[in-house]
Amino acid sequence: MIAGVKGLLTTLRWLGKRPLTAHYPEQHLPVQERYMGFPALLTDDTADEPFCTGCMVCVRECPTQCMTAVMHDNPNVAEGTSHRRKIIETFEINLNRCILCGICVDVCALDAIEMSYEHELASFGRAGARADLEILLTLGRRYMEQSAWTPKNPEKNVAAVALAKKAAADAAKAAAAEGASSPAAGADAGGTAEAEGES
Amino acid sequence: MSLELMDVVWVSLWLFTLLNVVAVAALSLVWLERKLLGRMQGRVGPTRVGPFGLLQPIADGIKLLMKEDIAPGSSSRVLFFVAPLLVFVPSYMVWITIPFGRDLFVRNLDLGLFFFVALSVLGIVGLVLAGWSSNSKYAILGGFRSAAQLVSYEIPIIMTILVVAMLAGSLSFHDVVLAQDVVPYAAVQPLAFGVFLLAGLAEVGRTPFDIYHAESEVVGGPFVEYSGAHWAIFFLAEYINTFMVGALGALLFLGGWRWPVGDVPAAAGVALFLFKTYAIVAVIFWVRATYPRMRIDQLMSFGWKVLIPLSFAAFVVTAFQMFYGWPIWMLTLLSLVILVPPIYIQLRWQRTPAMALAKHYAEIAVAVHAQPRPVPVAAVTEAHAAPGTEDDA
Repeated sequence: MIAGVKGLLTTLRWLGKRPLTAHYPEQHLPVQERYMGFPALLTDDTADEPFCTGCMVCVRECPTQCMTAVMHDNPNVAEGTSHRRKIIETFEINLNRCILCGICVDVCALDAIEMSYEHELASFGRAGARADLEILLTLGRRYMEQSAWTPKNPEKNVAAVALAKKAAADAAKAAAAEGASSPAAGADAGGTAEAEGES
Repeated sequence: MSLELMDVVWVSLWLFTLLNVVAVAALSLVWLERKLLGRMQGRVGPTRVGPFGLLQPIADGIKLLMKEDIAPGSSSRVLFFVAPLLVFVPSYMVWITIPFGRDLFVRNLDLGLFFFVALSVLGIVGLVLAGWSSNSKYAILGGFRSAAQLVSYEIPIIMTILVVAMLAGSLSFHDVVLAQDVVPYAAVQPLAFGVFLLAGLAEVGRTPFDIYHAESEVVGGPFVEYSGAHWAIFFLAEYINTFMVGALGALLFLGGWRWPVGDVPAAAGVALFLFKTYAIVAVIFWVRATYPRMRIDQLMSFGWKVLIPLSFAAFVVTAFQMFYGWPIWMLTLLSLVILVPPIYIQLRWQRTPAMALAKHYAEIAVAVHAQPRPVPVAAVTEAHAAPGTEDDA
């Protein structure tokens, strides 16, 4: 009986409170920082091109096979603004198929793909959920702004850093070739070459 | 002849107006219920159709009317379509004698209270008929449940109405309201008022007594197979009945259009009456927002073991007070005193610590298991022969 009265008072108290409901289409609740929405492709600002080289790792690992990727030679390499010899030409994700598992992000060694905050991508047609390279890059751009994203492995993946590193290595190599008699310089050059081989 | 014709036309007009008033009231209840329930549960209720979702019940009604009206192939067609009317017509007929204000009623029947009791039982026939004619297990179960529930809860309602009739010395709603000039009967007989509210909840099948159309058990009770307009009629009848309980409570126990202010202009009286009615209805919705549904056996035992004895006690106490001419406050006191034993029993039962209760039952169990039982010889020898069981033995 006491519990019954308590229950009545509880509901009465709630009558005076503000409802918890968020009116969805008008009012969007902020997503959490680690929210995993649909995957998006990220842009390397230093070279003004995508990180993605079209290596197909994500395409092969995707459990729902929702992605396709085609690579081509990167024109920016000839101009000397990028270290990526290959670059993505077309990339398509069928977001109807995507199950937001994040495996593509885990397997990508190039910092090219991330799970963005996008989750409101409903469309009126079955083909409407196919995101091409342009859309994916736009989503990725938004994600980079929203999350203040930084590359996990900048030495390897960011064009400017990688080019600078390569230039430094070349310079060291040249210096080593000039003074080949010095054993210390030779050891130095070997170390750099090894690091390059790793990358 | 022409006079009689005019009379017929006049009464038809009245009835039509009444139908509209009652229907609008029922629609307002739909909105009020959803809004109140929502707010009490931290939601917002309807907001989309019209300002504050006020047009939501109308949108619901239009939707229901436009839906296809399906009857199961194995149902008995005629009864299936008559049943909703059998539920609706009595619930609407009762309003003929309900006075909204001093002069605002269709007919002031001298036996108004009796008229109400007679008609409110009639609706049950419609529910049972709906359950039976649907030829569906859930529907017939719901129909049986409604019969059991509504008939047993009709008794306390009748007893409390009798209490009021005795106090007022009349069976007319008008006289009952006039008799409550100074003190409303809710103060004179709080016990009867409480019993009336609880039994009224069960009578109209509101939570926690909405057992006959419990969605989780019998899906929708007698209404399972109904759709479209016929379902809408059931729905309407249910809300009219809810409004009826509010109106009855206001008239019988809260002094209708008169009590705290005496004679006021008709409009103010009607407003007062409606305010009281909606207040009682809001309490009904409040209870719905709070409590879960009872079980059918809990419902029946609550009705027969608690409400009916209490209503009889209220009746007897009132009879004594009137026979010996005790002062009126004595009746209030007595009716509250009657409430002491059930409340005491309830509180004692609830305050028993759970652990003590568990211990009590554990002791019983141990005592039962300690009694020597015949053990099959084979089982004993096997247990001894098996390796590693010597410790257990």
